[in-house]
Amino acid sequence: MLRVLPVVAALLMIAVLATPLLALVLSTAPGELVDGLRHPLALSALRLSLFTTSTSLGLTLLLGTPLAWWMARHPGPAERAASTLVQLPIVVPPAVSGLALLLAFGRRGLLGPLLDRAGWTLPFTTAAVVLAELFVSAPFYVQSAAAAFRRLDEDLLWVARSLGAGPARRFFRVALPLSRHGVVTGAALSWARALGEFGATLMFAGNLQGRTQTLPLAIYTALETDLRPAKALSVVMVAVALAVLLLLGRGTVLEAVRARP
Amino acid sequence: MLDLELEVVRDGFVLEVSLSFSVGPTALVGPNGAGKSTLLRAILGAVPVRRGHIVLDGRTLLDTRRGMSVPGEERCVGWVPQEYALFPHLSVLENTCFGRAGAAGRARAGAVLDQLGLASLASRRPGALSGGERQKVALARALAAEPRALLLDEPLAALDADTRETTRGLLVDTLRRLAIPSLVVTHEMRDVLALGGPVVLLEAGRVRSTASPEGFCASPPSEFARALVKGYVQLT
Repeated sequence: MLRVLPVVAALLMIAVLATPLLALVLSTAPGELVDGLRHPLALSALRLSLFTTSTSLGLTLLLGTPLAWWMARHPGPAERAASTLVQLPIVVPPAVSGLALLLAFGRRGLLGPLLDRAGWTLPFTTAAVVLAELFVSAPFYVQSAAAAFRRLDEDLLWVARSLGAGPARRFFRVALPLSRHGVVTGAALSWARALGEFGATLMFAGNLQGRTQTLPLAIYTALETDLRPAKALSVVMVAVALAVLLLLGRGTVLEAVRARP
Repeated sequence: MLDLELEVVRDGFVLEVSLSFSVGPTALVGPNGAGKSTLLRAILGAVPVRRGHIVLDGRTLLDTRRGMSVPGEERCVGWVPQEYALFPHLSVLENTCFGRAGAAGRARAGAVLDQLGLASLASRRPGALSGGERQKVALARALAAEPRALLLDEPLAALDADTRETTRGLLVDTLRRLAIPSLVVTHEMRDVLALGGPVVLLEAGRVRSTASPEGFCASPPSEFARALVKGYVQLT
């Protein structure tokens, strides 16, 4: 009896995790999938999500890589503070993130008057979607990249330096290729998180079709009218999530093979 | 010609030396923690120097009084660290021409690999090399960048006894032929004698003595030196 219990518990856990996904896939016939994806709600959400997540990923790489590099190279109180700050958005509830974004960039927010004077209004625009995605997803990348940079052998960088390599060459020829696994994993996780962003986007950017209605918001909206696009988009998102996992898994396998002499 | 006077303070350890190295190999010996690796890293620019200067072939690399310090990438000082630190993602040829880009760099790297008998390994990754081969590639990589001085941190220590014997000959030959000063940190009297150049004994962050290998053997200047020489005599 005691030996069976853990097995039953494990099977129950599997069932809880698998049943919803199975239900989603089983309830969506192939024809329904095509119909659902042709729905105007689905098309515009797909387009918007693709645009906003690639923009936020680009910004994450552009701004997050130097931060991760700095964090890895300068351990100390400032780095620890930055590290904590970077981890916060991962654990803060999305609704709180949305409110915080509003209080920072809203018309009456902290930077509202400043943005107003420049003639910019952020809330309820596509830019707000990008900002919300950046806020919730960049931490995944920065953490992963910084961890990879920390693992670098200092001597390799000093050898490169003794061979005449300046900062850019040391980074792009030595540091980045040797940290590629952590960097790619971080980028993929961060992108997946941005794609799934719901709460902060809803609060800070609203739910306007074609402007701020991303995939998760479109699924939520479709639920009230037509279930087909909701199901079709959900299946697409599960497939994308699976693809990301497989890509990362394959990366790990490749890494292991390469590491063998 | 490499002239230096340095005071380095690191986690309570003080290295205070004044040394001059002429063309050819110099052996750097001393107990663990005497400051040998720290000295090499200070010349490289990898550890902060509190006070002093470094002059290489008349070019000042560091002068704390004037607040000047040439960045590591412009010092023209080659380095072969203890575990060689080959770039694992680059081939032997790519490792070797890392310091010199372009066709001229590749040609130079090819020539150095040829000279050290490594031409057949050019397309291999460091992971597929033996210990002795790695050591030679690390040396080739440093030489291909045409340094004005060369620093080697226990270049043979990571090798098994047999490989060490065969690799030593090539290393010593190469260093003696070079028209630049080379500093070789070692724990082996055999290396000291093979190199044939002056022996600097470093103890507790200070230069205890500078001698010829023969003088060092004839009258070892310290307890550590006596043990080093005795260990060698017992072996032979």
